[in-house]
Amino acid sequence: MEAENALVRMHQDLQRALKKPAERRSWAMAVDVRKCIGCYGCTVACIAENVLPPGVMYRTVLDIELGKYPNVVRILKPMNCQQCDNAPCVPAANAVAPGSLEKRPDGVVAVNYERATKEAFEAARAACPYKRAVYFDDGRFYTDGTPARQAYEMRPSFEYGKEWTRTAGKPPVNALRKCHFCVHRVENGELPACVTTCVGEATYFGDLSDPQSLIAQLLRENRDKVMRVYESKGTQPRVYYLTDTPVLCKSQHP
Amino acid sequence: MKESTAPRLTRRRFLKTTALLGGSAFLLSRLGWPSELFARTRLAEYELTKPENILYTVCQQCNTQCGLKVKLYDGLAAKLEGNPYSPWNLQPNISYRASPLDVATLDGRLCPKGQAGIQTVYDPYRVVKVLKRAGKRGENKWVTISFDQAVDEIVNGGDLFGEGHVPGLKEIWALRDPKLAKEMADDVKAIWAKKTPEEKKAAVEAFKTKYAEHLDKLIDPDHPDLGPKNNQLVFMWGRLKGGRSELIKRFTVESFGSVNAHGHTTVCQGSLYFASKAMSEQYQKGSWTGGKKFYWQADQNNSEFIIFVGASPFEGNYGPTNRAPGLTRGLVSGRLKFAVVDPRFSKTASKAWKWVPIKPGTEAALALAMTRWIIENKRYNAKYLSNANKAAAVADKEPTWTNACWLVKIVDGRPEKFLRAKELGLTDEDRFVVLQDGKPVAFDPYDTANPVKGDLFVDTTIQGIRVKSGLQILWESASSKTLEEWSAICDVPVRDIIELAREFTSHGKKAAVDIHRGVSQHTNGFYNVFAWFALNLLIGNYDWKGGMSQASTFDHTGGKEGQPFNFAKLNPGKTTAFGISIIRHEIKYEQTTLFERYPAKRPWYPLSSDIYQEIIPSAGDGYPYPIKALFIYMGSPVYALPAGHTNIEILADPKKIPLIVASDITIGETSMYADYIFPDLSYLERWEFAGSHPSITQKVQPIRQPVIAPLTETVKVFGQEMPLSLEAMLLGIAEKLGLPGFGQGGFGEGQDFTHPDQFYLRMVANVAAGDRPGNEVPDADDAELELFLRARRHLPKTVFDPERFSQIVGEKWWRKVVYVLNRGGRFDNWEQGYDGDYIKNRYGTLINLYQEKTALTINSMTGKPLAGYPIYLPLADSVGRPIEDEKQGFDLHLITHREIVATKSRTISNYWLLAVMPENAIVMHPRDAQRLGLSEGDRAKIISASNSEGVWDLANGTKVPMIGTVHLTEGIRPGVISFALGYGHWAYGATDLVIDGETIKGDERRRATGLGGGAGVHANAAMRVDPYLKNTCLVDVYGGSAVFYDTRVKVVKV
Ligand code: SF4
Ligand code: SF4
Repeated sequence: MEAENALVRMHQDLQRALKKPAERRSWAMAVDVRKCIGCYGCTVACIAENVLPPGVMYRTVLDIELGKYPNVVRILKPMNCQQCDNAPCVPAANAVAPGSLEKRPDGVVAVNYERATKEAFEAARAACPYKRAVYFDDGRFYTDGTPARQAYEMRPSFEYGKEWTRTAGKPPVNALRKCHFCVHRVENGELPACVTTCVGEATYFGDLSDPQSLIAQLLRENRDKVMRVYESKGTQPRVYYLTDTPVLCKSQHP
Repeated sequence: MKESTAPRLTRRRFLKTTALLGGSAFLLSRLGWPSELFARTRLAEYELTKPENILYTVCQQCNTQCGLKVKLYDGLAAKLEGNPYSPWNLQPNISYRASPLDVATLDGRLCPKGQAGIQTVYDPYRVVKVLKRAGKRGENKWVTISFDQAVDEIVNGGDLFGEGHVPGLKEIWALRDPKLAKEMADDVKAIWAKKTPEEKKAAVEAFKTKYAEHLDKLIDPDHPDLGPKNNQLVFMWGRLKGGRSELIKRFTVESFGSVNAHGHTTVCQGSLYFASKAMSEQYQKGSWTGGKKFYWQADQNNSEFIIFVGASPFEGNYGPTNRAPGLTRGLVSGRLKFAVVDPRFSKTASKAWKWVPIKPGTEAALALAMTRWIIENKRYNAKYLSNANKAAAVADKEPTWTNACWLVKIVDGRPEKFLRAKELGLTDEDRFVVLQDGKPVAFDPYDTANPVKGDLFVDTTIQGIRVKSGLQILWESASSKTLEEWSAICDVPVRDIIELAREFTSHGKKAAVDIHRGVSQHTNGFYNVFAWFALNLLIGNYDWKGGMSQASTFDHTGGKEGQPFNFAKLNPGKTTAFGISIIRHEIKYEQTTLFERYPAKRPWYPLSSDIYQEIIPSAGDGYPYPIKALFIYMGSPVYALPAGHTNIEILADPKKIPLIVASDITIGETSMYADYIFPDLSYLERWEFAGSHPSITQKVQPIRQPVIAPLTETVKVFGQEMPLSLEAMLLGIAEKLGLPGFGQGGFGEGQDFTHPDQFYLRMVANVAAGDRPGNEVPDADDAELELFLRARRHLPKTVFDPERFSQIVGEKWWRKVVYVLNRGGRFDNWEQGYDGDYIKNRYGTLINLYQEKTALTINSMTGKPLAGYPIYLPLADSVGRPIEDEKQGFDLHLITHREIVATKSRTISNYWLLAVMPENAIVMHPRDAQRLGLSEGDRAKIISASNSEGVWDLANGTKVPMIGTVHLTEGIRPGVISFALGYGHWAYGATDLVIDGETIKGDERRRATGLGGGAGVHANAAMRVDPYLKNTCLVDVYGGSAVFYDTRVKVVKV
């Protein structure tokens, strides 16, 4: 599998999946922790793609040091919303803000920016066992406080296939924000921003219901190495991790 | 693609209106898009995957120079991706033949800095108009002036600042007759060729008589070898790639006639380049010449074992995008394991089979220990090493060969010259000698007909001449200490040494030593590099798949057959620059008329060039001569150099350098001392030919091209409109001076050089032509041509005019140029990088295990000859004295590192990167912290023997204390501390400045913690000043490196 170009293969997988009816796609992500080099390329690509403000980072990377000199271990583990099939955030947020979160048939837990208020955010955050999954857009800009706010922060994002302009004083400002597997890119035939940029070639994405897909093959062929974070909580996350040390990797989750 | 192009033109319309803003628009921020531009609500398709909204170019957030795919939204660079045509970004890259219309949804990889690049481009602190200083140097008070006024003042000089006369360039351009220059240059060479001081003196007198009428054009008639006054113009640069490189040299050297055009190589990894240059020198017509300024890297996509020494390809060192996937794939597939030799547990080390936290500065000791074990255990490739010439190598199917078996004469116990066959009466021809079964045999290293092999270990006397083989000499150096003794020096356990050596010799040709800054930036850097690269020679892995690889590029300068524009012939007014350079490079001290005693006043560098740390301090000392004008392009020596604070004192003093002109995109730590700042275009607005790196095995030429409208002011030069830029500055000055090689007929009869496009488009055509007839790219078809135009619909005529473009290259090349630019350059397909078990683009010749040229070079500071073979040298100052600051209580060894989210001096404007890592730290082991009473998060100051106050003195009344936050980690060798480069700024938008009387507030997110900001510490000023030179950092006097890693410091709580 080494000579193969994972991005090209997944890109082909994606075109195949898009030919299917939307409700029969099953998006999932896999991260090979052994290959993550902790570069934060995914983090920044995501900020750029989705025009994220200060304080909002859909995708982060945990950098955990263990051991004593010179026997040191460093675990580099990316985290984003796990798009759980049994997502505790959905009922919690919808209870305070009806219609704010929706579990889509393709697996994505989608935010309705018009309805996902601060209360929805707080409820979702409290319900979600994963730290670093849900964020609140408090309306700040990175270039505020400099001689002038810059255009790259004022351009629209295309999340969920719509144009969102933060300067309009409307959503997504003052809304809950989180990873959506870049469905706006995916549905236009482009892999998620964190996946295409992943410098370590550690991040995989595709349609789990397609056995031919690289992601399905990867998970199938590495059963002993696959783990999901907080599986025991019954959340059924759609982000899978591959590691040589599943126990260690699991125990190190904050 | 249902949208018409019309509504997309808003940005262009907007640019027109900004011209009305007039004088106050000196910063980019004043030219920004109005916020209401995008504030409309509509439900649109995802715009960014449409081919007509995509342009391909090259990243320059660091020097890896990855391919870029720029997604545009209303002319704004909205999102950056990796270019899938480029082997940097996709491994394997997609076929070069694929149409850009078909691959718009396919992205390549990009590192976080690459992703954040638009924040460098759209930095609110970018300057867009010419600035002239309104206060003292470094005071950071400026006025905007017109381009024409700036050019006029620089050319004509005068009392420009009310501080007295400033010489203009027209005064410095003293020698203008190319014929006279050529004649003088030849006569200077003749002076250097004279053997005795008396003969030299006589030759100087003869020179003075011959040129009696022209002595006023010389810097010093008593020392004609200093050259003409023209040399008092110095052009220095930081990051510079092809295209602009030729332009700067054309201006400075070819047309103006100054020898002083110098790059920054030694601040990065100079001794890596120059030790490799010495290893690649070839014997031609009786002398060693043609050594390449280059180096090798491992072919990580095929290696089975790599030792990374002082290199972290996951964080820097020409990674990570291009190198990481090959490494991580190899780890997971089981193909590869690697070791990391580094005092710090880098992210690369975190994936290593073995981390070796070596004592900094002892890298050669570890290499020689391994060498000893490998030779002792006969695990070297004897077959490879015994090949004395090309024919023998070819017979063995080896692309390269060495001089391991050549005989070297031993004079007074010291290896000197190679034995020549003449000396034994074997032949009259100039031949070297090997011993074959004890019998001397003469040979020509490049002979392709008669294979000659030699005995590997020779120590004997032939006809009364004491000789040893090259390998014998290496063995003696390696066995001068026991493994235990070497281990004690480098503090690597003997069992680790053996394990490394055994593993390295267990994979045939698929093992490699890959080294970088951590090896070269020491006072002994040259020999550290040599020792490690000699290990690669022991297994003979050069040019082998999985072994050592060199870079390979499509030439853009037109020297190859079939290329349409040969730049060597496109400068009819070319003159001959001559004389000793300000950095005294590529000339031996002893040959010059300045030779008097050892140590020389400052070091001479016969084996190196581009010695960055020497430029400004040499000007400060006026050695070998004072300079009059300094141009600085995309470089910040103050910030980037070790002990860069020593440069401030000189820059701030107009008596030392009367005129300083900077080309920069912001007001940085160095350009703040300029008299004039010419705003430059950022990397998304301009041209460059980015070249390649050794680990890329494919032949390539990534091309940087304008993908957004220029953000700087438009100016007029030679009657043509163009954006303010390096090009406009040079063309404008050339126009005012009447410099040959520019303007009407600048390229020759009927070929004008009045616009930058005329330079760069010709180069693109050369790349399109390829290396040989038949190697041209295809023509762009109609659909591609239409895409080419549509995707550039937001670019103004100043930078994109299809009519101008096509006229420049001519009909024959136009569609080929389009084909290349549509893909962001030219890239061979992946498989074209290999040829069976070999790397396709080969080095393919002799590699010197013994360096005769080096052995015949004298250290200008000690008067002692250099060793021609790998040795371990203890750390020393420039005159060879040990540095013993630890005895004064400086108990910690300071090193630096790169975080993946920062590049040395130019990413502090990238707020997305600061969001990941807002501040760097003083990184230390808990054991040291405990001893010093420090804990995690404490504020502490770094001081050293040469900076006991622990500050940057900006010479403007401000001092920046080197205060940072302590971070504790088990991942660093106790006794060593480190900080990440790129943080803790005091310029580049970090502090207040005044333009046209208006105060521009600095941003504390960029500001050094010591100045009350949040951006951590830049501790280069703590690095040791050389005790003899006194205004420069420690140096590697052999390879030229500026020394980053040999300073002892104290860390004190504040
Ligand atoms: S881009 Fe990939 S390698 Fe880099 S931090 Fe993210 S997951 Fe890890
Ligand atoms: S490594 Fe990163 S910053 Fe450097 S050229 Fe590549 S993408 Fe740009």
